[in-house]
Amino acid sequence: MNRTVLGLLGLVTFGGLLEVAPRVGLVPAQYAPPSSRIAAALAEQARQPQFWAALGDTVQTWLTGLAIAVAAGLAVGVLLGAVPMLWSVTATTVEFLRPIPSVALIPLVVVLYGSTIRATVVLVVYAAFWQVLLQVLHGVADVDPVARDTARVYRLGRWARLRYLVWPSALPYVVTGVRLAASVALILAVTGSLIVGSPGLGKEIEVARQSGAAPAVYALVVVTGLLGVVANVATRAIERRVLAWHTAVRTEVGA
Amino acid sequence: MRRPLVALFTAAALLTATACSSSGGEKPAAGQPDNVNAGVIAIVDVAPIYLGKQQGFFSKRNINLTLTTAQGGAAIVPAVVSGQYQFGFSNSISLLLAAEKGLPLKVVCNGNNSTGKDGEDFAGLFVKADSPIKSPKDLVGKTVAANTLKNIVEVSVRASVKKDGGDPAGVKFAELPFPDQLPALQAGRVDAIFVVEPFQAAAVAAGAKKIASSYVDAGPNLTVAMYFTSQQLESSNPDLVKRFTEAMKESLAYADSHPDDVRAVLGTYTQISADVRAKLTLPKWPAEVDTASVQTLADLAQSYGLLTKPANLTDLLP
Amino acid sequence: MTFVRRIILAVALPITLLGLWWFASEGSTNYLWPPLSRILTAFGDTWTAERLRADVVPSLTRLAAGYGLAVIAGIALGVLIGGAPRVRAFTEPVLEFMRAIPPPVLVPIIMLVLGLGDTMKIVVIASGCVWPILLNTVEGVRGRDEVLDDTCRTYGIRGGLRVRHLVLRAASPQILTGARQALSIAIILMVISELFAAENGLGFTVMQFSRGFQIPEMWSGVFLLGLIGVALAAVYRLVEAWLLRWYHGQRLSRREW
Repeated sequence: MNRTVLGLLGLVTFGGLLEVAPRVGLVPAQYAPPSSRIAAALAEQARQPQFWAALGDTVQTWLTGLAIAVAAGLAVGVLLGAVPMLWSVTATTVEFLRPIPSVALIPLVVVLYGSTIRATVVLVVYAAFWQVLLQVLHGVADVDPVARDTARVYRLGRWARLRYLVWPSALPYVVTGVRLAASVALILAVTGSLIVGSPGLGKEIEVARQSGAAPAVYALVVVTGLLGVVANVATRAIERRVLAWHTAVRTEVGA
Repeated sequence: MRRPLVALFTAAALLTATACSSSGGEKPAAGQPDNVNAGVIAIVDVAPIYLGKQQGFFSKRNINLTLTTAQGGAAIVPAVVSGQYQFGFSNSISLLLAAEKGLPLKVVCNGNNSTGKDGEDFAGLFVKADSPIKSPKDLVGKTVAANTLKNIVEVSVRASVKKDGGDPAGVKFAELPFPDQLPALQAGRVDAIFVVEPFQAAAVAAGAKKIASSYVDAGPNLTVAMYFTSQQLESSNPDLVKRFTEAMKESLAYADSHPDDVRAVLGTYTQISADVRAKLTLPKWPAEVDTASVQTLADLAQSYGLLTKPANLTDLLP
Repeated sequence: MTFVRRIILAVALPITLLGLWWFASEGSTNYLWPPLSRILTAFGDTWTAERLRADVVPSLTRLAAGYGLAVIAGIALGVLIGGAPRVRAFTEPVLEFMRAIPPPVLVPIIMLVLGLGDTMKIVVIASGCVWPILLNTVEGVRGRDEVLDDTCRTYGIRGGLRVRHLVLRAASPQILTGARQALSIAIILMVISELFAAENGLGFTVMQFSRGFQIPEMWSGVFLLGLIGVALAAVYRLVEAWLLRWYHGQRLSRREW
């Protein structure tokens, strides 16, 4: 059976499970409504313009943050990889900053930017940047030693080495990094909007929660989940396109 | 292979540029309305400011009001202090705590009060219908859900227990957001909950038993929340603060006398359904701050250890 | 590089940054940015042995339990899903869907079923950090060497032995990459799980400080989180070096010539 069909079948089965579980009593139906009621609430949401505005805000936050994180991660990663001295100096700082949860930055971000989209973008960039950076560092370090020696023998300059040697071997890692960063960025975009109150799906979810409107909450959560699926499909498609020539190497590269 | 890279970088550059250029907070030219950002929470209590904005009370005083919803006082207070918001809405205990820690805040006007009527307030202390707990003093040794620990709920519930003859220090509190309190009560994970509208309506509909109106027990005409600004804004632009205060007082008076308009405006900034909105008990919205009730709260807070010294209300209140 | 030189390089930047921070913040009256000296004093005052035992130990225990649960579940499911491409196509959209749900929204749902206690928090942590492990395991299992696969089949190696020596061994570099990411996520979720219905814990304490406007104490808590993260990362590196010694040796030997 075709892969897309199987995927859709999976989603449908999941929806079916969610319909049955509350009706059977596995979860209290009042607070975890069945899929049919969620679908109705979703249709209701789609009628309100503020839903579409919030959706647009979340997508904008997500893509902006992702783009900045990828650009910064690439730049810093290539720099640190190309100049080993820099890495040995910054390694401990990176290891210290990395585990600090983005949630700890929330007070800082609220003070600087209030509850605006920019606040959430900062959170998204902070979380997604590390994903990209680490993957790029792996990629830059994993250059095939034979190829590297060949480049040295042929006296390729630094720029040429970067273009023909480092970039192709780092590319699979970079693409993986973008894929991981995309999903982390989405989670942070929605979570940030939820906690900080900046415009977006997260804020709508929180407002619905504070209003006691459970079906609306779940409808918005479903939208978030669907965005995740879309993100995955899109990044997989990009991955296939960009790494089409690289499939031989793909099997040994991490996810 | 190079094209996606170039596209990525261009996209990143463009997006960064757009993000950076859309900055707010420009100084208006003389004669232009002042751009004011107020931080509120998307709950029933702030209906007056939304109503006032809708009725034009702010625009007629040359204030271009933007309302931003945040999660709670803990998020709004820093934003006001740092100038992100010009005004904010927060509950009285949070403001007292902040003032004690030396934050440069100044209350400008009242927020909302308890209705003062026992059994008919906009908040209530509930237990399960079949619970052995009959009155607040039975709560000693039991767990009550509060949406924020060491805040107004704790103070009020302890006051209820004391009024009923129990030991207020013997009550335990578990922090749980309002939407999660009723499910927890029904599943038996907490013994009692203290909720505000619209969760009170939901609790009643689910058959929970109200055993106290703690805001009424804490003191008469309890000032639950207030609007505030930073001392910095007050000294640099007292005229703006005065105009905002007047607009707010007009909004509060209007809201207090037009409950149907309040129920309608609730539908614009919350997701509370129309039939729940029709049944809600609304808070009272007096235009003036009831200093005596804030003093009562401060005294209670001090006696339960939330405040370490007596509050300086002359500096904090208008 | 000598040991001393390595130490100096490692601490040079952090010390410089700390020094800059100290001097920049020394005269600060802004309550949100207390002077670093005050934060450090607060650190000493707040994180006493008593508080470490009462708050930090339960948090770390829950973290370990949640992480352990995620590792076991992630690897088990990953091996199952990665081994069959049909199953993978069937489950991938659903997994991506569930992964995208923000944790603060998931917590109330989990609370409905599991209540307010430690089990709920452990499941919350596991629910978030299972994803990198699961997805990496799937990729690792998928990408195993076909020659080795055929060899196993020829020799009739099946079942548990095959899983242990072929599947897991081949996927272990990827699995450990996933485990590393899961560690960072676990720390974040440890904090988030304590924002709801908690009565002790590091995240809970930091949040209460924030609510009570005790800012130097709050920053000291964030500092502690960073230190814990560094410590866990170091422990992880040791474990990884031991588990993957065969892999590192293989790659090193390939590089020698």
